[in-house]
Amino acid sequence: MINADFIVDVGISHYLILSAILFSLGMIGVLLRKNAIVMLMSIELMLNAVNLSFITFSKYNSHIDGQIMVFFVMTIAAAEAAVGLALIVSIFKRYKEVNIRFFEHLKG
Amino acid sequence: MTADAFLFWFLALITIGGASLVILMKNPIYSALALVFTMCGIAALFVTLDAFFVAGVQIIVYAGAVMVLFVMVLMLFDLKHEVEAFSKGRITGAIKLATAGLLAGLVMGAIFYSSTAVDTVITKQLAAASGDPSKQLGMRLFTQHIFAFEALGILLLVVAVGAVALARSKGGTHHDQR
Repeated sequence: MINADFIVDVGISHYLILSAILFSLGMIGVLLRKNAIVMLMSIELMLNAVNLSFITFSKYNSHIDGQIMVFFVMTIAAAEAAVGLALIVSIFKRYKEVNIRFFEHLKG
Repeated sequence: MTADAFLFWFLALITIGGASLVILMKNPIYSALALVFTMCGIAALFVTLDAFFVAGVQIIVYAGAVMVLFVMVLMLFDLKHEVEAFSKGRITGAIKLATAGLLAGLVMGAIFYSSTAVDTVITKQLAAASGDPSKQLGMRLFTQHIFAFEALGILLLVVAVGAVALARSKGGTHHDQR
């Protein structure tokens, strides 16, 4: 599979593979880090990988709905970051640290 | 090697390197900086995919607003020193890494396996696009997807109120322990 054609002819599969790699890196970050803020950043990374694949399919299918879906994903991501950071602020005020293990004390 | 291919590989290097730095850096400020790099690289990839308006929105919303929010929270609470950055346990860590690698391998295998079929479908459909893409985008968003648009507006309102209410609460989310 890896030959000169693969390097020179950039097509849909290149973008999709890049998107898959970025998504997996974000997943590793969510699983492996303990700082809640870095976990939120990794979630943003995963959402961006999905956005990339949306745009890729939008271009290669000549269909503009993919870009509209990207707008919606961006809005949801911004809202999610706002709520997540508010939760982190709330946790930090009590425990003076944002380690994910303090989130088990969350309730009502 | 053509300019397009060179640009793609360069941007792929930037985004993957930035994403790796996000999850490897011990200091969250450096993670945020690497994430800004990644976002800008992804915006440039959007430009190479002819999605200019989305690329601008990506820069403004992510590299601008969201990252400012992250960095502001980081600096407000002085989180530079970190006690344990990564989760403990070598075996569970290896299992987590293997799981993510397996996912990436499966997805890439599926893409390779289906790439010929996808390419044939695409060459058939690659004729429709015409006119100003940003105008098309706006027309589509405000006619066909108007309900989802309004629902997102309501969602943002609820999230703004909820975030303010959460952040204002004194001393965590509950009051009976410690």
